[in-house]
Amino acid sequence: MTTAAAQLPAPERPVPSYLEHGRGIRSWLFTLDHKRIGVMYLLAIGAALLLGGLFAMVLRLHLWTPEGALVSNDAYNKLFTLHGAVMIFLFIIPGIPAALGNFVVPLQLGARDLAFPRVNLLSFWLYVVGAALFVVTLVAGGIDTGWTLYPPYSLEEARGLGLLVALAAVFVAGFSSILTGLNFIATIHKMRPPGMGWFGLPLFLWALYATGIIQVISTPVLGITAAMGFLDRLFHLGLFMPEYGGDPVLFQHFFWFYSHPAVYIMILPAMGVVSEVVSVFSRKPIFGYRFIALSSIAIAVIGFLVWGHHMFVSGQSRVASLVFSFLTLLVAIPSAIKVFNWLATMYRGAIVLKTPMVYVLTFFAIFGVGGLTGVFLGALATDVPLHDTYFVVAHFHFVMVGAVMTAFLAGLHYWWPKMTGRMYSERTGLVSAALVFVGFNLTFVPQFLAGVAGMPRRYATYAPGLVVHNRLSTVGAFVLALGLGLALAGLLASLRRGRRAPANPWGASSLEWAAPSPPPHDNFATTPRAPRPYDYAGLRFVSEEEGWVREGTP
Amino acid sequence: MSGHLARAGGSLAATTGFLPARASSVAAEVDWVFGFVFWVSLFFLGLIVGLTLLFVVRYRRRPGRLEPEDSPSHDTRLELLWTLVPLALLMVLFGLSTRTWLRMVRGDGAGGTPLEVRVTARRWSWWFDHPGGRGAPELHVVANRQAELVLSSVDVIHSLWVPEFRLKQDAVPGRFIRMSFTPTVAGSYPILCTEYCGTDHSRMLSRVVVHPDQAGFDAWAREGAAPAASLVEHGKRVFAQRGCVACHSLDGTRRLGPTVKGLWRRRERLADGTEIVVDDEYLRESLVKPGAKVVAGFPNVMPPLVLEERDLQGLGAYLQSLSERP
Ligand code: HEC
Ligand SMILES: [Cu+2]
Ligand SMILES: [Cu+2]
Repeated sequence: MTTAAAQLPAPERPVPSYLEHGRGIRSWLFTLDHKRIGVMYLLAIGAALLLGGLFAMVLRLHLWTPEGALVSNDAYNKLFTLHGAVMIFLFIIPGIPAALGNFVVPLQLGARDLAFPRVNLLSFWLYVVGAALFVVTLVAGGIDTGWTLYPPYSLEEARGLGLLVALAAVFVAGFSSILTGLNFIATIHKMRPPGMGWFGLPLFLWALYATGIIQVISTPVLGITAAMGFLDRLFHLGLFMPEYGGDPVLFQHFFWFYSHPAVYIMILPAMGVVSEVVSVFSRKPIFGYRFIALSSIAIAVIGFLVWGHHMFVSGQSRVASLVFSFLTLLVAIPSAIKVFNWLATMYRGAIVLKTPMVYVLTFFAIFGVGGLTGVFLGALATDVPLHDTYFVVAHFHFVMVGAVMTAFLAGLHYWWPKMTGRMYSERTGLVSAALVFVGFNLTFVPQFLAGVAGMPRRYATYAPGLVVHNRLSTVGAFVLALGLGLALAGLLASLRRGRRAPANPWGASSLEWAAPSPPPHDNFATTPRAPRPYDYAGLRFVSEEEGWVREGTP
Repeated sequence: MSGHLARAGGSLAATTGFLPARASSVAAEVDWVFGFVFWVSLFFLGLIVGLTLLFVVRYRRRPGRLEPEDSPSHDTRLELLWTLVPLALLMVLFGLSTRTWLRMVRGDGAGGTPLEVRVTARRWSWWFDHPGGRGAPELHVVANRQAELVLSSVDVIHSLWVPEFRLKQDAVPGRFIRMSFTPTVAGSYPILCTEYCGTDHSRMLSRVVVHPDQAGFDAWAREGAAPAASLVEHGKRVFAQRGCVACHSLDGTRRLGPTVKGLWRRRERLADGTEIVVDDEYLRESLVKPGAKVVAGFPNVMPPLVLEERDLQGLGAYLQSLSERP
């Protein structure tokens, strides 16, 4: 079949790509095409990242001096609240599942769309409404409660209208997340192509499946909690406010019942991306498919039972603390399995150092630190001194920014040719990956040290002895921003100047690479048969196309 | 008000930028557990980064090495190994950490009956009522005698942290939460608030003074606990100790709040436009629920106060007395 590619004339496509299918703004805003919805999500979360990042830079600049260099304490408090809320609810939670997942899931299944295209559009619009409500909060003077919204502080009258709007925003954005999860679960159950059993799913889909379970079960609790807070504040029902007989610690239980699993809503899809990339760029089947797949489910299940580790000093009962500490340490195991299986995948592979893979390599180090420092916070004796200090801030930024955003960037570069039909500049990609890694570590490693030395989180001013830690961190933040800016510039430049992408530039085996780049509106003319997962044996590099083709395909 | 707190805090929260000194009976043990986790973590991090680098160097795709070598697609025994080894280590850690933690929360009963101090947190200061009747904005305890704090808050959640003791506990409104520890080294250590509580969260600082012996503590406690000769005297002291003067001048100058000179029977215009005459009822409400009636032209920042009945009465008597004098 060496002539297979030669028989194909230059990539002249009889069917227009999804980008050309329908013109005008309405054909985007009301599209039912999962690919276009994915792209719209991508733009939206990109905007959220910029906004949240802007807040972060102001925060870091403010902390240049111990007494605060830039803004008042009140302004600082509002900034960190919005930084957290925007980054968590509008960027990192929808990031990989809604933007990349929307685009990739049906393609990996050889399907035309998700199970419920209309629900998908609804989910996008709910996200937009939620985001708009956050902007209203911002315009209405902002909120200064921290993204955790702990009462009684958050439900005091003094917090004003902004707080009610923010609760509504959380409520609406939550529904967006629930619907996406539901859609993925249904799609993965019902729309697998012939030849694809459960253990034939690409691991990205296993990850999104596990994520979907968490989204569907835990997010409603967040919605209910927001609604209860709303009512408590308006009608003084006495749910959370001690003044009227409520219990503020109860709120913390509800809140973390969602917000701890939410960490896995963020990290599981990231792990899914890593599983794809590490196998493709090692040119080797993933090592220990079943352990990786089932560890996603294990994380989802155990992840529901560890929320109390955020409350070791809240006054919850000692028995509760013991149980939560035990389960929290357990949940580290499935993550450890994944890391070792990824490393084993690279063993004796033929490792290709393209941008997605380089991001994944930095992911290993960053996720390693993020995960291991989590052990300090799961163990009771060490959590007590570290709780609510910069050690915690550094820990969750390693997991949420370091690991998840790195994986997001890996996935974005990996699927970019499929989404846009263009190859990005490899050199820009590699330089940006290096800058992101260096900048990230410079920002957050000093924060571990600051936390151990005694700097509590959410401090607008701090002890003079910590000025070095904070300045290093601020410098790092600028390097990180530079790296991200460069990555963005490289991707955008490729839209104009990038080489046209072949259908399968990486030699990956999953089905999205069997569709043209970019795929046509209907993805596949006929439902393809699924190859064995991570089977690279039948793929050959064809230099005329600068891409890979599967032996036996015409 | 933030001004004087900031000044107090600036000198208190001095940190060297490294691990704080150890000044409680559990500090060394906590640090030991910390060290255990640290070294085990460092080993695993080294393993992950080391293997990553090694594999990238050895198995990079390059001319002459375009295809991967043959290797198994899974190996259940190996996978069980890297499931069970971390599991075992984590269970050991759980045991060690829990043993230490139980000692942290239970207290060690050193020095006979614990020294019980009632702690009241409010935005943005601490108040410590010591045995013998002396209250102070800073905590006083005795070296090698267990202290037992009873924490409460009058407004929002705060959290009391003494880095040198390696201990931390939230103060939750509507609850009393106990916290025990035994300081071991005489001296003075910073107290920080670690639960976000609004504007001056980062300046909600105080300190704990550890007296070398009981006699030192007793001498200190006696100093400020002389029974007031009269309600007015008592009120005067409360007014001074509770920091009211920071916002209310005695001589008619305007600070953050209205002056208390000539307050009694004064006609006051309120923010909602109504007019009242200052009397007992109004005074009491101003102290307990300051937000209910706000004086026109002033910000609604007066903190709600936890005051004993006697303190309330004392303050009332004292404020009234200010206007009766010539
Ligand atoms: C943070 C600054 C602050 C502190 C500390 C403070 N107050 Fe006030 N206080 C105010 C302000 C501002 C007002 C006026 C607004 C209002 O009525 O709430 C006020 C009002 C009052 C009034 C009513 C005055 C009037 O003219 O009607 C009384 C009485 C009073 N305070 C007593 C006290 C006492 C007693 C203390 C100490 C236990 C205290 N305050 C501590 C800021 C403060
Ligand atoms: Cu958690
Ligand atoms: Cu605080």
